[in-house]
Amino acid sequence: MRTEPMAAPMAAIPFSVALQTWQTMPGQPMRPSDSPPQTLLERFHPDYAAQATCRLMVGASKGARCHPLLARIIQGNALIGDVDLAALAPVTTDILVIGGGGAGVAAALAAREAGADVILAAKLRVGDSNTVMAEGGIQAAVGDDDSLQRHYDDTLKGGHQAADPALVERLVGQAPAIIRWLIQLGMHFDLADSPTPGARLLRKRAGGTTAARILSYRDFTGLEMMRVLREAVELDRGVTILNRHPAVELLSNDHGHCAGAVLYDLEHATLRIIRARAVILATGGAGRLHLQGFATSNHYGATADGLALAYRIGARVRDMDSFQFHPTGIAWPQHLAGGLISEAVRSLGAKLINGLGERFIDELAPRDLVTAAILRECAEGRGVVRDGQVGVLLDTPGLLAEKPDLLSRQLVSLAHLADRCGIDPRREPLLIRPTLHYQNGGVEIDRHGATAVPGLYCAGEVAGGIHGRNRLMGNALLDILVFGREAGKAAATLAGTPLTGRVGLEHVRDWQRQLTYAGLINGPRSPLLYPAYGNFDLRAHMATARKG
Amino acid sequence: MDEIIHLRIDGRDVAVAAPASILQAAMADGTALTANVGCMGQGVCGACRCLVRREGEKQIATALACETRAEAAMQVSFIVYFTPDKPHRYDIAAIQDLWQLSDAVDRHFPEAAHCRHCSGCDRACPKGLSVQQGVALSVAGDFAAAAAIFEQCVMCNLCTLACPEGIWPNHLGLMVRRAIAALTLRPSDLIRRLNEIERGAMTPDATEKE
Repeated sequence: MRTEPMAAPMAAIPFSVALQTWQTMPGQPMRPSDSPPQTLLERFHPDYAAQATCRLMVGASKGARCHPLLARIIQGNALIGDVDLAALAPVTTDILVIGGGGAGVAAALAAREAGADVILAAKLRVGDSNTVMAEGGIQAAVGDDDSLQRHYDDTLKGGHQAADPALVERLVGQAPAIIRWLIQLGMHFDLADSPTPGARLLRKRAGGTTAARILSYRDFTGLEMMRVLREAVELDRGVTILNRHPAVELLSNDHGHCAGAVLYDLEHATLRIIRARAVILATGGAGRLHLQGFATSNHYGATADGLALAYRIGARVRDMDSFQFHPTGIAWPQHLAGGLISEAVRSLGAKLINGLGERFIDELAPRDLVTAAILRECAEGRGVVRDGQVGVLLDTPGLLAEKPDLLSRQLVSLAHLADRCGIDPRREPLLIRPTLHYQNGGVEIDRHGATAVPGLYCAGEVAGGIHGRNRLMGNALLDILVFGREAGKAAATLAGTPLTGRVGLEHVRDWQRQLTYAGLINGPRSPLLYPAYGNFDLRAHMATARKG
Repeated sequence: MDEIIHLRIDGRDVAVAAPASILQAAMADGTALTANVGCMGQGVCGACRCLVRREGEKQIATALACETRAEAAMQVSFIVYFTPDKPHRYDIAAIQDLWQLSDAVDRHFPEAAHCRHCSGCDRACPKGLSVQQGVALSVAGDFAAAAAIFEQCVMCNLCTLACPEGIWPNHLGLMVRRAIAALTLRPSDLIRRLNEIERGAMTPDATEKE
């Protein structure tokens, strides 16, 4: 029988007792594994829980498995109808990019390089995204002991052979060129040696890889990357940036192609129609849905908006029942729960310790296995409880005793996080528990980021098929840039083509007919735009904001 | 059990169970939250910038709401993120060697040489960076030291907002950082791998499975 994370309080070892055991236990023995990896996943990984899957009832991927909470959103009804668009004058552009994270900005920059005009619409502000929060690094096979083939094999194996080989081939093949592109834009990377001609890149190991392949900048790689990308796109006069403009619906033309989007201008509380030759959805993932009650490491905007929009206009989705729960989220204190501790900490040697002072899993096994093992410890009474929060210990004191210099240079984010937890990571281990981190599946794309709907492209976490059913550390920062640029380049080939015919919400009317047949017409509306605790309702916002 | 604290956020009286961040407190009264929020606790996106006055203090301080504890009787004003047109646009690819970097600083950030040393930027920085010194080092051509000062900048733009000369210090620091990376970073292992790929000597083969 499965034990769920939010179920009744489970038996666990009090923090003070666990701390004492940890201090006195010599050598940290590894408890031998009692079950093969697949059994561990099936028994303890949240994806395998009974209530974690259902079948889609409508749409292009009808019958496919999907998480029920996500199914409600992507099978939701539209937020707007024809009447809302009456008397609105459209703005025209070549490419509309929806989403202001790494994938969206990479797409915008690539489309500009190809000569297209671009509007980039961000729900919050360009740069506010999971990209800026990424800590560990980006994979690229540059080492002597490494090859594109190894990167390819590791990625497929880590994803349980479920990824699309053509996408993985493109991912790993473009990786070195992406690093060069980032350096040309002005991004720094850590070097293994002093910065002299001939210096090599610092390479770290990631869970589930056969060679050290993680390139990084300190432990805030995403911040270094995003501030460079944001500056580059903000300085480009060919890109119009619309901050605080969430997309509420896509537009279709007479041929069923995607032909733009309807945005909500939060500042003026009014809808805006953007007519485009191609739309690139780069809206990110779904962590803020808190599937199965898990805390999340994701930023505020991760509410699966692009999935709902793409599915409604006819794109296919895949692996929508597969999510990554990052092994090391903060468990205590509760008000910081879900905050991420980078895999870099384990990559550098930190061990996971249960309430009995034992290690219980290879800390650098693939993330889904480490997560399942931590949840097993918690479910079977070997977890550690502090003020009602249950998790296991991350032995930072053990790591920092060996390498005391790490905190000031390489693990700046860890030092910052521990400080906010009120913990000295050199003396006291952190209490951690898996946190909802990444949507493995998403909209089906080809190697150019194109979906089944002409004119609609997807890049970044909203897209699926690149990582199969489990993503390796460092492959997300790579994926957003590779497929962001691919989508931008491919979409830009439509620049300057004539805009003909009517554009509107025909696909929404078609979708509503499908919902009616399936008995789902009275379901929720989507996209969500903000998490439940964001207190946002489109109609209420339009009404009150207009009152002034 | 949890203590309820009362504070004032953007003119609203808010009650929240402690411990909570200012950002969590701002959501507690049902107000729609559509701006000044991003990473929600990591302190890296700079979106939740605000002015804070603590009880009994006259001084107002800047803070990131996601990483600052809400305290009883605190007064908080969020600072809306604005995006004025960039006064000085540059193309990083046009700065072609380090001999030109001082010229680029003068050309794209001409106000930097007129710093009044008022320390407004230092006081505005929620990360405690020595912004003013970073500006001076950039003007003096000590680029490595300037780049180091701005290493942990989250681009919240509070220094840009605070500067009476319109220097845009964080953007100056970022240009210096970008130029150094773009002009000096030439990793030998990356160069070799790119050569191998361009020669066709290394391709991933989707069919050749073990």
